Amino acid sequence: MALILDIGCGRKKYPGSIGIDMSPAGQADVLCDWEKTLPFADSSFDKVRLVHIIEEVDNIFRVLGEAHRVAKPGARVTIVTPHYTDHASYCSPAHRWHLSSFSLWFFSDRPGEYDYYAPADFREKRVRVELLRIWRALGFQFLVNHFRWYRKFWEYYLCFVIRGKTVEWELEVVK
Amino acid sequence: MPRILDVGCGPKKYPGSIGLDMNPATAADVLCHLDRGGLPFRDNSFDQVRAEHVIEHVDNIIATMEEFHRVTRPGGRIFLATPHYTDYSSFRDPTHRWHLNTYSFLYFYPGGMHGRDMWYTQVRMREVKLHVSLLKLWRAFGFEFLVNHSRMFGQFWEHYLSFLIRGKLMEFTFEVIK
Repeated sequence: MALILDIGCGRKKYPGSIGIDMSPAGQADVLCDWEKTLPFADSSFDKVRLVHIIEEVDNIFRVLGEAHRVAKPGARVTIVTPHYTDHASYCSPAHRWHLSSFSLWFFSDRPGEYDYYAPADFREKRVRVELLRIWRALGFQFLVNHFRWYRKFWEYYLCFVIRGKTVEWELEVVK
Repeated sequence: MPRILDVGCGPKKYPGSIGLDMNPATAADVLCHLDRGGLPFRDNSFDQVRAEHVIEHVDNIIATMEEFHRVTRPGGRIFLATPHYTDYSSFRDPTHRWHLNTYSFLYFYPGGMHGRDMWYTQVRMREVKLHVSLLKLWRAFGFEFLVNHSRMFGQFWEHYLSFLIRGKLMEFTFEVIK
């Protein structure tokens, strides 16, 4: 059975996963502060999920570095976070970071000088942007997700009008 | 020869400057972490302090500007380059803590806050130059020229237009008042 780690699982833990959280009010199996070292051995998990977590942490690089450490080589890491043009990016005072669909470029296809900041290696397998319903109905979400150049154009010119909702990445752990 | 400090110099240090960075894999002459205890220089050591793409990363902008002010001589210059908060690059780096606009440093100007001095900091500087770049398409339509050549249009742009006609880079030059 695939071992799945759900970091910051909250009240809706991913089915079949081991959930960790800082708060005992949710469905966590393990209580811990994910800003520090995670209480798991290296290369333990086949999948790691961070859903609506990275926008709240103090140091995104350190947390993704820990996710990288506890994941097996080739494991998949799923990250979900609000796009910075969505109201959800601003509606929680715990949100420290406002991110775009290119915010994780440091971890993949990056120039070597950034290794200092982000030593963990990931390969970006998939990025999916969700837009508000009305824009989805008009086909913008399809365009953004099917053409990288269009996603870039959308990020540069359109996204304060055709606003984003969430961004979801699937990264492959490279060790 | 002017004494220039390039804070967060990265791999391309400003020619003739002393480079400072926290990353040893750069052209830095001095390794130092800005958020941990400030700059290792005496007061009034430099004619110019430059910080390109730095201020949006620091933990505390006011404390950092106070340090830049301290090590710059009276009448010296502080040069900052930082993304405008409507540019995609402001949100593309997960270490950008702050999203800034052309008013973000009014805080340090004499009478900058609606004719009054801001009271959280004692340091004062004057904006001697500000250049805002816009995305290529908007530059081609002449908006960049208007934003930079008419103070009134610059303000109108910041208040009404900047989510559509999006900004890119802001380059500030301040004169240090002591």
